[in-house]
Amino acid sequence: MRRLLRRLLSDADRRSIESDLAELFEVRRRRDGDRAAARWLARQRLLYPFHLFADRLRGGIADWIAGLRGLGRDVPYSVRSLARAPALAATILLTVGVGLGSTTAMLSVVRAVLISPLPYAEPESLVWIYTDNPPFRFRFSVVDYRALEADHPAFSNVAAYQTQLVTITAGDRSERVVAKAVSGSYFPLLRQRPIVGRLFDPSDDRRDDPLAVVTHGFWQRHFGGDPAVPGATIALDGVVHTIVGVLQPPEGPLESSVAVFTAARWPVPKRKGPFFIMALGRLRADVPRAEALHTLRATNARLFPIWRSSYQDEKATWGMQDLKERVVGETGARLLLGLAAVACVLLIAWVNTVNLLIARALNRSRELAIRGALGASRGRLVQHLLAEAGVLAAGAAVVGLSVAAGAVRLIATYGGAYIPRIDEVALSGVVLGWLAGLALLSCLVIGLVPAIQTSRLRLQSALTSGGRSATDGPAARRLRRALVAVEFALATPLLVAAALVTASLDRLNRVDVGIDTARVLTAGVSLPGARYAENADRRAFWDRALARLAALPGVEAAALADSRPPHEGYNLNNFNLEDRPTPPGENQPICPWIAASPDFFKAVGLPLERGRLFDTRDLAGGPPVVIVDRAWASRFFPGAEVLGRRFQEGGCTTCPWITVVGVVGTVKFSGLESPDQGTVYYPFAGLPNGYLVLRAADPATLVAPVRQAVRQLDQSLPLTDIATGEELVSNSLATSRHLSVLVGMFALTAVALSLVGIYGVMVYFVQQHTRDIGIRLALGGEPSAMRRIVVAQGLRLVVVGVGLGVATAFFTGRLMRTMLFGISPTDPWMMAAVSLALVGVAAVACLAPARRAARLDPVTILREG
Amino acid sequence: MAQQKLQHFELHVLLAMLRLRDETYSVPLVLALEKRTGRPVAQAAVFIALRRLEKKGLVTSRLDEREGGRTRRYFKLTKPGVAAVKEHRMEHARLWRGLGRLLRAHKV
Repeated sequence: MRRLLRRLLSDADRRSIESDLAELFEVRRRRDGDRAAARWLARQRLLYPFHLFADRLRGGIADWIAGLRGLGRDVPYSVRSLARAPALAATILLTVGVGLGSTTAMLSVVRAVLISPLPYAEPESLVWIYTDNPPFRFRFSVVDYRALEADHPAFSNVAAYQTQLVTITAGDRSERVVAKAVSGSYFPLLRQRPIVGRLFDPSDDRRDDPLAVVTHGFWQRHFGGDPAVPGATIALDGVVHTIVGVLQPPEGPLESSVAVFTAARWPVPKRKGPFFIMALGRLRADVPRAEALHTLRATNARLFPIWRSSYQDEKATWGMQDLKERVVGETGARLLLGLAAVACVLLIAWVNTVNLLIARALNRSRELAIRGALGASRGRLVQHLLAEAGVLAAGAAVVGLSVAAGAVRLIATYGGAYIPRIDEVALSGVVLGWLAGLALLSCLVIGLVPAIQTSRLRLQSALTSGGRSATDGPAARRLRRALVAVEFALATPLLVAAALVTASLDRLNRVDVGIDTARVLTAGVSLPGARYAENADRRAFWDRALARLAALPGVEAAALADSRPPHEGYNLNNFNLEDRPTPPGENQPICPWIAASPDFFKAVGLPLERGRLFDTRDLAGGPPVVIVDRAWASRFFPGAEVLGRRFQEGGCTTCPWITVVGVVGTVKFSGLESPDQGTVYYPFAGLPNGYLVLRAADPATLVAPVRQAVRQLDQSLPLTDIATGEELVSNSLATSRHLSVLVGMFALTAVALSLVGIYGVMVYFVQQHTRDIGIRLALGGEPSAMRRIVVAQGLRLVVVGVGLGVATAFFTGRLMRTMLFGISPTDPWMMAAVSLALVGVAAVACLAPARRAARLDPVTILREG
Repeated sequence: MAQQKLQHFELHVLLAMLRLRDETYSVPLVLALEKRTGRPVAQAAVFIALRRLEKKGLVTSRLDEREGGRTRRYFKLTKPGVAAVKEHRMEHARLWRGLGRLLRAHKV
């Protein structure tokens, strides 16, 4: 209590109060007696600090209110004074604005993708149910789903869907769209409503006629929003479907990019596989998750013995995952890296601005001192500086708003391929609120530190010394230098991240896909089931197509495949080798299976290493044969003969043995970053969907002739996903490339800002030490020595900052592990290279002030001094 | 000079000072206020009010320190202080004008 009084009152006042209290105590003692007076005195002493504190508080509030009135004058004054320093104002507005805008844009993406609940009713109870065979999670088969549908005690509802590309034909126009075959329970489970007509319900599962529900976008595009659309028909892959209704927007992530829903008509299965169905469940509120999982596993365990002949993998069971986690997938880490990058840029922009504003306040100390001498309190001066920061922050918020709006539009346009829930990304009111909050924070950060610094100025000395060197106390100097070190400490991990992502991209670029990408053109074709119902129809079409395409001028080979390198080999199949059968309870080996026509290997430039390629025997229903690649051969039969080896597919014990007849070079089908696990090629015979694969010297010129040739064969068939070999590789790297460009851009901004920071501090250093340098030069100091001193001063800060940054990068690097290929997140060479590069460019930034120091004329300085 | 805004208690202190005529310190003021209001008055409240009035320029103060003896801070009304009291009185008089008769009509 006494200490508090000492802080609030002067010594003399304390003594006078004690003396007055003693006198009053004497009066009371005589009047009320000893005890009452003692109690009174104790109470007075106890209450004193509270009285004083209340008074201070009241005074503070009154000052603040009076100050707010002054704000009306401060703001226009700040605007005028900043207009006199346009370079400074523009630097701050741009850097803080870009920082605010990009952070806001990233926040809006993070909010939409990671934070917001899925846009379905009670989304937290929705789960994805899958076949769990660690380390793999794959889809359900029809058998699995029928069993789940019949027995799901832990779920109030279950549903299933299958996503497909279908061709919609109307007159002579055809279009490829995404369609979803859904169970009747799909819409009730997600609690979605129709805007026109009705959606499917479980009774639709028992019907045979083809039904469709269209999305709002499709309804507008194709039917002009006609409310009489229920009852209309559309042809999907040649099958006429009756539209029953239109789905009410907004749609969720499961419906994004879908045009049409069809009522699923999955045939009664003869074996356990194949696994192509996505199963969803809505958990009952009264059932704990662990119990729900237990019931799933119990259902699967009852199912297993029934289908043992076609599926023996006893380790495989059922699992479930929150639907949101499933939808978001692995995007989270990338988004958070992006957010960290933009947050770093904003922090650096703040630090840089603080540094610039401290310098400005120091340079203006004479002006501030005069205002102080004319009666402005320190509070008023601080408020004036805060008003200036407020003007800057408001301007930066405007810049930030436009940057954020542009960035969100860019992300929505280009990020759709790899950011889930992209439709939900928008500059919502909440996000704008965050922008306002960040702008306010900017105002406090960039205003308070310089203001506090200024309030510590020795105003008297600022007046007497002419407002130069005497104002820059050691505290301000230390702070400015520390801020520069902080900038480098923030920029370094960002640059390390950018370098790592770029190096990883470079390594991915150098991965050998295995095919002659420069001479390949591919295009997808889907044969509608209605017109190509029989295998023979489809084979006849493919034969005619290949013959016609091979005859086109410039085409060296024409072939078919069902998947394309480097990452579209989605048909992963397990198998059991005759010579090395998988023991019970263990996982069978798994690899991509690619259907390819005989000329595929010639078309992609894949050399036959041993054995033979496919020929007419294999297509005409001879004994099943496959060609494997070198990676497959060395994975299963290292150093041994692989030709003639046999295996059975898909865990099917009753299926015929398949024989290896040839070995070709290795091709990437599971992504450039995946290790080679081998590929199995089987003959492409009469599949409904395939890619035309053509070999030509200049593949890009073939697009128009190929399109025309296919149209001549069947006018309603569109070509889809046309891409040259090089485009396929480039597309597969799009995510990595965009990430690298994004992080690289932010890293370069951060480095540029840090360089501005070190340059500013060193210019100031030289200005402050002009006299010392002059004396040294006059005493015979070499100009080169002056240069060295200045550069060394600057580099000391940079080295400290970079050191801290490298340590940060080292400890946070593991968060990036999943994003990198062929390089460790803590790669010492990379860290060293980045550090050296940063120190190098910082040295260059210090060189200009250093040169100025070396060129100083000692005579002039000493005469002026 | 613009009229200084006076808080209720500050006015009380100024009135007590006027009554005490000359330079005074907190003890006589506390006692005078207690006598007039019939309520206990905290010395802290009086002292703080005096310092506030001093900031407003309505009173001045001087420290009286005697060697080995008591330390007192003496306060004295300034001309603006007296003017502020007068101004308050006028304002109150204007507010009260004609109300006496009405109040008498209300039998409480």
